[in-house]
Amino acid sequence: MISMNKVSKHYGSFQVLADCTTEVHKGEVIVVCGPSGSGKSTLIKCVNGLEPFQSGEIIVNGVSVGDPKTNLSKLRSTVGMVFQNFELFPHMRIIDNLAIAQVKVLGRNPEQAREKGLKLLDRVGLRVQAEKYPGQLSGGQQQRVAIARALSMDPICMLFDEPTSALDPEMINEVLDVMTELAQEGMTMMCVTHEMGFARRVANRVIFMDQGRIVEDDSKEAFFGNPRSERAQQFLAKILHH
Amino acid sequence: MHEFDWSSIPNALPFLWDGMKISLEITLSAVVFGIVWGTLLALMRLSSITPLSWFAAGYVNLFRAVPLVMVLLWFFLIVPHLLESLFGLPRGTDMRLTSAIAGFALFEAAYYSEIIRAGIQSVPKGQMAAASALGMTYGQAMRLVVLPQAFRNMVPLLLTQGIILFQDTSLVYVSALADFFGAAYKVGDRDGRLVELLLFAGAVYFVLCFAASRVVRHYQNRMKTA
Ligand SMILES: Nc1ncnc2c1ncn2[C@@H]1O[C@H](COP(=O)(O)OP(=O)(O)O)[C@@H](O)[C@H]1O
Ligand SMILES: [Mg+2]
Repeated sequence: MISMNKVSKHYGSFQVLADCTTEVHKGEVIVVCGPSGSGKSTLIKCVNGLEPFQSGEIIVNGVSVGDPKTNLSKLRSTVGMVFQNFELFPHMRIIDNLAIAQVKVLGRNPEQAREKGLKLLDRVGLRVQAEKYPGQLSGGQQQRVAIARALSMDPICMLFDEPTSALDPEMINEVLDVMTELAQEGMTMMCVTHEMGFARRVANRVIFMDQGRIVEDDSKEAFFGNPRSERAQQFLAKILHH
Repeated sequence: MHEFDWSSIPNALPFLWDGMKISLEITLSAVVFGIVWGTLLALMRLSSITPLSWFAAGYVNLFRAVPLVMVLLWFFLIVPHLLESLFGLPRGTDMRLTSAIAGFALFEAAYYSEIIRAGIQSVPKGQMAAASALGMTYGQAMRLVVLPQAFRNMVPLLLTQGIILFQDTSLVYVSALADFFGAAYKVGDRDGRLVELLLFAGAVYFVLCFAASRVVRHYQNRMKTA
């Protein structure tokens, strides 16, 4: 589904990603973790071409992301993405947030798009909020809407960039629950997150990054059991402590 | 001491009103064209295509570095000739209103583009990323997501600039075009009541602009609480 081969990226002389190689198969859930600044966001933004990279290759569903001939907009419409800060469109009602790309990008008729939007809102438990504006919702609710918005495009896989980091603690679970449900339904997911409980529950593999490198890429049993690198051990000790 | 005599104003009201219509026509057209052209300039300025961003930067810097009254004079002198030769219009067609609108619009676009550029930059980068991630093209993301938010933040500044523009329309007196100010001047001159007419015109400008800026302020406050 997603395969990365020796992906490297630098800003000037600063190496953000160095020879990153990994593979995400259909139906797999991969959790990406690592210290702040290690390149996690950059890595998953390369997957849908939001960040360009200088060398290496990324293939998503048979399409090469780095190929200048690739229609990136079209590729992105098939890959869902959820951001740390939700990034709902504040000037549109919730339902329009869910319908706009369906109509403008996929060419669905507005009635159909609305219908589908409402169904997805129902699924994340927010149908009654359909006519409100994003600013009127709590952070957790906004993030659930953001997930529903990404799903409205019928994506073949989903990318999450620290979806719960900007949330108050009491709202983290409502978002993780939606993600867990998605994972159990067989969605292919690549999640940057520090929620190790979530990783233990649903991840197939865990990737640990440090200084732009993929340091560990292991089954979750191996990763939580006995991580090979010292950096990963330290990181786990720190994160599991609180 | 000067004896005020306001008697020539009531009879002149229809003529003054015609002048006001010209002032408003210039203002509105220049605001609309200025915002459209200013938006395009802002997008060029922000684009990664170097020639476009240089062109926009050059344009903005040029128009911001010359006096408005001079731009207007150029247009009164050049545009009529240009149109005459381009479309074979008969010599002496009155093109002063068209010239004035063109001059104001092109001049104001330079100011509008700076306001709009700042407005676009005030929209968080993540909004463009989210729109792109949904598969929108750059154009769609700008049109549907970034610009609406940018304009909502900019409305007070754009309106304030419109009020300044309305005052500046009085500069068309250099072409003897009878805008509100020009009309007041003509009546005053004819009746030997220049002081009264100019005081009256000043009062009208003040009331209109002051009221308009109160409306802008009210809008700004409402936006803050929303
Ligand atoms: N536009 C940029 N210019 C220079 N450095 C950048 C830029 N964007 C990100 N970086 C750097 O790249 C590194 C990786 O960033 P990021 O992928 O956001 O890390 P993470 O998500 O793991 O915290 C950081 O050190 C960051 O400072
Ligand atoms: Mg990050």
